[in-house]
Amino acid sequence: MIPGVERFIIEPAERFLEKVALFLPNLFSSLLILAVGACAAWLTKHIVLRILRMMKLAELSERSGVEGLLLKGGIREPFAAVAGRLAGWLVFSIFILISLSTLTVPAVERLLERMLLYLPNLFVALAIVVIGVLLANFFGRAALIASVNAGLAMAGLIGKTVKLAVFLFTLSVALEQLGIGKETVLLAFGILFGGVVLALALAFGLGGREAAQSYIEKKLFSEEERDDIHHL
Amino acid sequence: MQQLEAIGRAEILIGIPSYDNAHTIAHVVKAVQIGLAKYFPDKKSVIVNSDGGSKDGTMQVVRDTTIDDLQSILLRHRVEPVLKIATPYHGIPGKGSAFRTIFEIAKALEVDACAVVDSDLRSITPEWVELLIKPVVEGGFDYVAPLYHRHKYDGTITNSIVYPLTRALYGKRIRQPIGGDFGFSGRLASFYLMQEVWESDVARYGIDIWMTTTAIANGFRVCQSFLGAKIHDPKDPGADLSAMLYQVVGSAFDLMETYAPVWSRVTGSEPVPTFGFQYTVGLEPVAVNVDRMIDKFRLGVKELAGLWQEALPSGVVEELKELEQKGREEFSFSDGLWSEIVCRFALAVREKRVYKEHLLRSMTPLYIGRTASFVLETEESGAAEVEERIEQLCRTFEEMKPLLIGQWEHKEGREE
Repeated sequence: MIPGVERFIIEPAERFLEKVALFLPNLFSSLLILAVGACAAWLTKHIVLRILRMMKLAELSERSGVEGLLLKGGIREPFAAVAGRLAGWLVFSIFILISLSTLTVPAVERLLERMLLYLPNLFVALAIVVIGVLLANFFGRAALIASVNAGLAMAGLIGKTVKLAVFLFTLSVALEQLGIGKETVLLAFGILFGGVVLALALAFGLGGREAAQSYIEKKLFSEEERDDIHHL
Repeated sequence: MQQLEAIGRAEILIGIPSYDNAHTIAHVVKAVQIGLAKYFPDKKSVIVNSDGGSKDGTMQVVRDTTIDDLQSILLRHRVEPVLKIATPYHGIPGKGSAFRTIFEIAKALEVDACAVVDSDLRSITPEWVELLIKPVVEGGFDYVAPLYHRHKYDGTITNSIVYPLTRALYGKRIRQPIGGDFGFSGRLASFYLMQEVWESDVARYGIDIWMTTTAIANGFRVCQSFLGAKIHDPKDPGADLSAMLYQVVGSAFDLMETYAPVWSRVTGSEPVPTFGFQYTVGLEPVAVNVDRMIDKFRLGVKELAGLWQEALPSGVVEELKELEQKGREEFSFSDGLWSEIVCRFALAVREKRVYKEHLLRSMTPLYIGRTASFVLETEESGAAEVEERIEQLCRTFEEMKPLLIGQWEHKEGREE
């Protein structure tokens, strides 16, 4: 044998094959876990879908505005289908993590550890956004109805502003939860909100000075337009 | 409690719910005292003021109010003294909670007959006591609803929703189902007390419609008594209309759910026995700003049509949009359109299509539009003509009932 061949080629090749031989079972078990995960995800998706249909979630999501939001986001599927799909992907992601961990590759393990630690934040942020959408719709609609009943011409704008403000607030809380630009998000929210209020104040004070004066005069000094109807 | 033990048992109880009514309640207490002395001299009677935490000394006014010279009013001396209890009520702030306390005292004193009268009445006379109590004591009735002469634009929720709906559903022509002044038997007071409704809107403005409906639907003997004019202290028009509408109409719709097996079997309607000598009374004018009402309706159509689509068929929403385009001269909200809207909202509340409070509060511009149309239509009409218009609306509601029953049963079928 040519000197050096054993040292430079055969020995590394043997070490490589040894490592491959050690790695292969892990790879197979990892692939097996992945296959089981795919089945479990498919099963979960259908079970969740069935449960949500039984709970008549379709009507509830339609009423609460979630369906409308999905449509606005370009998702034409009903909420139950989206929720089922999400649950399926969640299960599959868990199996992906388990399968990756069975590979026992140090770099992957470190990455997984960091991902696992971050995952709860992601779920909490997602929950905050969902609750935020529901609250924004609720308060936006309440503000719209109250403004219409008070006879305010800007009722539509008031309703939309309240909806947007609630949504932006919850979004900033969600982003803070994710640790994305903590100070920046809060600052941006403060500037945006303050800017909206300042813009409205300026618009009312400059653009609608006469309207403001007449409104205040009417409220404070005039009784002539009051109805005397006793409704009950 | 000690006061109740000292009284022991009483035969008649008159309840007066109040909240900051110091300047009007003395007149009401005096009228009741004289009424009891004049018409029920031999009966042991109690006046109960159930107060919601007034800060203007209402309860003290009640305690201090006495008739100094009964001789100049009555020919006959009273035998039994009229006792008074002024007590704060507990629970959700509202008229219903005040009534609950009155029912509790009525039960504790084992009274035979009760009546409740509003504390802001300016037109109450001693005869009201007789008219509300005698049908119970001598006629064997359990529930006496009031019948008033009111200005044609007064009591518009009653005229456009509560009376037509109650009459069409339960088949009894009780003209003022939410009049606020009622007579009832001790037996019915105990029955009311047993119901688990005191944490709902019944504790607020919903109490009147609940009392009337509960009495009719549970087969108690009902009648009505003509009391003359109903003139209130003028502070009420400032109250939040959408809150009133939500509580009254919401309670009426909740009762539809409770008593569906009762009203779904009723067809047509019948008059109820009416007591008292009916006479014409002069009424104070009611100022109405129709243009502002139409503007509010238009704003409602512009902003809330999307929400209404959850409750109303598209044809009805289109009709409302067409109405929004019309000027004052052509503005006419038909009986058919209005009765269908009320029925559809009842169905939508039942099916929980939208959060109930939002849906019912969004009904305010529709109600205002309907009221504006009614005012325009009856501008030149006298009391009798206006009454005939209301009768016509009631008949339209009765004609709408098969649709309501059909949709209601359809939903029940789907649930099964």
